[in-house]
Amino acid sequence: MKYLLLFLLFGLVSSCIEISDDLTLNNDGSGTLRYKINLSASKIKVNSILALDSLEGKPVPSKTQISAKINEFVRLLDAQVGISNVLIEENYTDYIFKFSCDFTSVRNLQDGIKLSLAQISNDKYSTSAEQFWLSWDGNTLVRTIPAYVTQQIKNYKLDNEESLKEGVYTSIARFERPVSTFENKLGTLSKNQMAVMVRTNTFDLKSNQHLLDNTIVLTPR
Amino acid sequence: MNISIKCTLLFVVVQLATANSWAQLKAIQSERLLPKDAVTVFSINNISLLQKISMDDLVNYEFMSEVHQELFDGSTSGKTLKDAGLDFNQRLNLFYGKTFTHELTGFTFGVSDKAALFEVFDDFQVLQSSIPGLEIYGTFFNNLLIKDNKAILIRIEPTMDYIDEVTDSIWYARGNEMPFEFFDEAPQEDQILNEQTYEDNSNNNVFPEATENPAIKNYYELRDSVQVVLQQTELTRVINELFLKGINLYDSDPRFAAQLTHNAEGAFYLDNARNLDKSQGLWYFQTVLPTLYKDLQELYAGNVILGDLFLRDNQVDFEVEALYGPALGSIYAQMNDANFDKNVLAYIPASSPAYFTYNINLQQAYEQAYKILLPLLSDEKNAQIAMNVLTLELLNEFVNKDALFDTYKGSMFGTFNGVKKIKTKKIIFDYDEETFAYQERETEADADMPVFTLGFSTARKDIPEMVLKHLARLTSRVQRFENYWRIDNAILDAAPLYILNTGKLLIFTNDEDLARNHSAGYGAQALGKKQSKTASKSGFMYGSVDITETLGRFPTEVLTPRNAEIISSLKGKSGRLELTSSETTEAHTTFKLSYSYTGAESTGKHLLDLVNSLYLIYTLNP
Repeated sequence: MKYLLLFLLFGLVSSCIEISDDLTLNNDGSGTLRYKINLSASKIKVNSILALDSLEGKPVPSKTQISAKINEFVRLLDAQVGISNVLIEENYTDYIFKFSCDFTSVRNLQDGIKLSLAQISNDKYSTSAEQFWLSWDGNTLVRTIPAYVTQQIKNYKLDNEESLKEGVYTSIARFERPVSTFENKLGTLSKNQMAVMVRTNTFDLKSNQHLLDNTIVLTPR
Repeated sequence: MNISIKCTLLFVVVQLATANSWAQLKAIQSERLLPKDAVTVFSINNISLLQKISMDDLVNYEFMSEVHQELFDGSTSGKTLKDAGLDFNQRLNLFYGKTFTHELTGFTFGVSDKAALFEVFDDFQVLQSSIPGLEIYGTFFNNLLIKDNKAILIRIEPTMDYIDEVTDSIWYARGNEMPFEFFDEAPQEDQILNEQTYEDNSNNNVFPEATENPAIKNYYELRDSVQVVLQQTELTRVINELFLKGINLYDSDPRFAAQLTHNAEGAFYLDNARNLDKSQGLWYFQTVLPTLYKDLQELYAGNVILGDLFLRDNQVDFEVEALYGPALGSIYAQMNDANFDKNVLAYIPASSPAYFTYNINLQQAYEQAYKILLPLLSDEKNAQIAMNVLTLELLNEFVNKDALFDTYKGSMFGTFNGVKKIKTKKIIFDYDEETFAYQERETEADADMPVFTLGFSTARKDIPEMVLKHLARLTSRVQRFENYWRIDNAILDAAPLYILNTGKLLIFTNDEDLARNHSAGYGAQALGKKQSKTASKSGFMYGSVDITETLGRFPTEVLTPRNAEIISSLKGKSGRLELTSSETTEAHTTFKLSYSYTGAESTGKHLLDLVNSLYLIYTLNP
């Protein structure tokens, strides 16, 4: 998994990272997941890291190697049951990476990601990937941040508190019908009442990896 | 004058003569246990300075890392070196050495109280000794050898290459197949190849018969056995040399012995010739180009670095003499025969936390190296080298060397001007309130950037100017301004690089302030008269580093683990490091590294800090 940019850069660029997960859920349980990582505020640091042969004793992959690994992940995920339209946009000028895929059920989505990560990482993340981070019963969505992401956030170095506070994690859930209630006190409801957004900084998320957990209940059909 | 008065006078004269060097008053003891294969040695002459250093502090130093496993187990808690039974009338000698097949590290010291010593070295088991008077103790990693009141703690490791070579040799001689092709990244237990046949080779007396049932040993078990046997064999060889044959570094190398007579708190020895000789990286030369390798050895013969450590008021001075053989010395002498380029002083701000100047005459060095090295290469009967020699000779004839060496004369300077905020662009994600629809917006951002300047002496302003003009025609990123050139996003795709072509200096910097406001130099804000004089009088190189401002902010994560250790070992310290050098002759160059500090820490602590940094630097492979 060492080449997978997402996790590599999580560990290395503990400052000024912007992450957005954006889940669109249809009434039938199918939907779209969009995941974006924005390192443009840290591009000097990322460029300086990529210019090195090794960092903290570990080899630093080239952009080509990173891209190859990302695309391998995309290929693996696209082949999973219930997953389609897997797309990745890689911007190596500003270091912005956008991933999206469609899924037929949240179970298929989680299984697909879990299996793809396990295959690409030689089971390194399989234990944490065992956990389910989404559940949907047709009316209620319970979501957390996946363990393989929170684990990386936990590994952030606390040597630059201010920079960590500038990092942002945004979690959005969109639906086909209005939201009735949601539990997370950090959450805000869109004016059209069809989406809930929870945002926090990476410093607070490191202290409490469940800060973005939410249970969202929709109005009855 | 009667005989008794003569004797008294003689005694007084001898005492006075020798008292100048208290080091000479010490009997040579623990240094006679230094293996002759030690390539790097630090001797702390006055170890009474370290009496108050706690053992816990000591074992935290990197120079103890190879041997500290047994010490760092609670047995040292609350103890000082004084409690550890060390004889403070003997030197403490740290060493690192290597042969073609092994690496050895450790230290030698005097023992005053064996019972106290074993309260610290409490994991050592008594081993059998066949040498009268020699006590041998061992742990899994290290051995402690004590004879009379002298001791050596030593760790011997065969090199990985040597272990592999011997293991492979035995493995294949026994008729086994290639072991590796059967292993994937995660080998299954049933895939590990076991030996298929085993034949006892009675002629091989280095390796004893395998215990129990050797027929079931797999490759890695065999390799482990080989490692242990090689380690033991080498230890036996070292013990026999030191305690039976009386062969040691002190008696083998008079330069080292002479160094210990100096009236200094510490001594340093690095035999660069042997370092080169044992360098694993040169195996190609050794095997494929033996004649050239021999010539290289001759070139490096006599290349030794000797140093003294002096403790002065709030300062540790490390005075180093690099000795050369005649051939290499002649190249260095020509190279360093350069006048100091005073133009550089205007571009070093007085506030600079770290800067260096380096003065060499590259043209003279080239001519001398050509004279010395080309005949060596020409003698080699190798097609590739012959072609390289031909290319070199043709270039030497056709290239305008005056133009080349007037453009790049070799002298240079560099400064680190701290970390400054620079403006960059960043993208932020925005979400509208109605639907949380996502959009991207570009905005300005601040980023920390270390500010560096590197300048080269030149007499040909026209040549860099010509290159830059053509580059500017090719890309809009290269732009000409009144006093400087700017190349956008040249540094890490984010920050501009400024080039100042003054006619005397070609300066590269990412410091916008220097380019825009100080293109003719810093004027009154430049280095003061005293510092300028020190730099200009300092032979071929001078360096000054404010430890707090520079090393404290250095991002160690970008370094190799070993280099990071060097920087980390100095982090948290205050004070200044200053490097000066003498004129270079064909025989030697003298350097002086001064570490001045403020604060109440003991001089012994500062001495160890510096020894530790130097140990890390000098034990890096060349």
